[in-house]
Amino acid sequence: MELEAKELQIGYGEHVIVENMDVTIARDRITTIIGPNGSGKSTVLKALTRLIRYQHGNVVLDGRDIQELKPKELARQLGVLPQIHSAPSDFRVGELVSYGRMPYQKLLSGKSKEDEAVVEWAMRETGTLAFKDKSIYEISGGETQRVWIATVLAQKPEIMFLDEPTTYLDVAHQLETMKLVRRLNRETGIGIVMVLHDLTQAMEISDHVIVIQKGKKYDEGAPEDVITAKMMREVYDVDCELLRVPGRKRPLLAYEQLAG
Amino acid sequence: MKKYKKNSGGNLLLKTGMVWTILLVATVLMFFISIAIGSVRFSLSEIWYALWHEDAGNAYVIIYSLRLPRALLAILVGASLSSAGALLQAVMRNPLADPGTIGVSAGAGTAAITILLLFPNMTLSVPLFAFIGAAVACVLIYLLAWNDGINPVRIILAGVAVNAVLGGYNSFLQLQNSDNLSGVLAFMNGSLSGRNWTHVRVMALYAGIGLFLAFLCIRNANALQLGDEMAKNLGVRVNASRIALSAVSAFLAAATVSEVGMIGFVGLVAPHIARMLVGSDYKVLLPTSMLTGAFMVLLADTIGRSIWPGTEIPVGIMMSVFGGPFFLYMLRKRGNFNGA
Repeated sequence: MELEAKELQIGYGEHVIVENMDVTIARDRITTIIGPNGSGKSTVLKALTRLIRYQHGNVVLDGRDIQELKPKELARQLGVLPQIHSAPSDFRVGELVSYGRMPYQKLLSGKSKEDEAVVEWAMRETGTLAFKDKSIYEISGGETQRVWIATVLAQKPEIMFLDEPTTYLDVAHQLETMKLVRRLNRETGIGIVMVLHDLTQAMEISDHVIVIQKGKKYDEGAPEDVITAKMMREVYDVDCELLRVPGRKRPLLAYEQLAG
Repeated sequence: MKKYKKNSGGNLLLKTGMVWTILLVATVLMFFISIAIGSVRFSLSEIWYALWHEDAGNAYVIIYSLRLPRALLAILVGASLSSAGALLQAVMRNPLADPGTIGVSAGAGTAAITILLLFPNMTLSVPLFAFIGAAVACVLIYLLAWNDGINPVRIILAGVAVNAVLGGYNSFLQLQNSDNLSGVLAFMNGSLSGRNWTHVRVMALYAGIGLFLAFLCIRNANALQLGDEMAKNLGVRVNASRIALSAVSAFLAAATVSEVGMIGFVGLVAPHIARMLVGSDYKVLLPTSMLTGAFMVLLADTIGRSIWPGTEIPVGIMMSVFGGPFFLYMLRKRGNFNGA
């Protein structure tokens, strides 16, 4: 299972946001896309999942161009948790997760036994089964994020895309979400592609990091090879030290001190 | 924020069941009341007798030929308008959407007013042209709003513009013919008065088709509530869904306008009341809206024709005058409401 984008150009009319981008997403690993605000990270993620169109190039999934796939076919292979999503606050958790089965259902068919089993599995994997009957407004922000991940998981995708899954969460919930994502990847073999802002997080969790700068790929590779003081200066214009802490496998990032 | 802690699980099913039972009982009761009262009052046994015996004379005529079709029509109209509103609110992801937003009222109005004032000898074909007018205005708005896909804000803005132009035209025609407006006014303030079994049959056909299609829209209506990108991710064709839901909505609304004229407010308010009662899941919201709308129109028409002996207040006026304050009351009592 491989998702491969070649010479991708994304934009609106004359306004080009991303150009000449080659990306290969291998299954079974965690790929993180990083880059400054406005560099085109989310745009790439959306194009890879056909949420938005691209102007040139192609995206190929297992040898087939994703433009040729029916929406439901694509939805059974690639699951996306977009940054912007909402549900009416009175929706029940179990109900919301069951929408993950839509790609498998026909207009008139109800929920099959398999749908129910998968929904329950997705909720168990994400630790959301306990509040299956609660409404969205009754649970916390971190729990809500897990419910959305469960919804995408219920699609049984080969690769799951998460657009800034930790941005609005406190540290505890960020960690919880990262642990969940890692466990899903390791235990169920689902491929993960994330856009992250927190670079220490990216360093810690990723198997592969892609750095995007002004709509172009700056570098990609193993996290420790890519997230370096040089990259930080060139891409983010930030001075940064990478600190080795005994007992931790990967370094932490210490950014420049504020003056005064 | 966590005020309604205990509102979950089987509880919700029970609540929905209760709401449906109450609405159903209320509608059936209202149905019999509306047949019983009016300028002549009947007892239940008289109604029952007249329904099955053509020799019941005057009672048969009043009950079977006047009140029964009217009550049935009220139910069909209410269910159709409220479903139209509920679907459109999912399309726009906006609680203020109603069939007027997509030009149904203005389009039907333009067609009806043109015929009534400029081609009075064609008055009999007003329903047909009103339907066509509504459909044309709606299609026009969607064409104008289309820009590499359809998005709610553009639909609403295009709707505002088209509604303004048609509204101006309608006002101009009325000003030019200000001494000849009774037919126009009757159309603009939708009324069930004088409707017969033919109207019921036509409306039943429209509503049967429209409401069936509305039920097919439930899953997509729910998916649209999760945001466009999430819906796309789930394999939903977002543009196609929006257009399909709008088409069903426009069909239902145009059908009612062509049969009984414009009745405002039902399409806006009935789905909201339903939402306050059972929540935003269209599986329960849509049927609840239908029941709520049916009950509201039946109630409004019954009061409108019996509150002021000798005069009939059109149901459209009743809806606005009493529906508005009642809605405000619901809104304030509830404080905030779900999903909006």
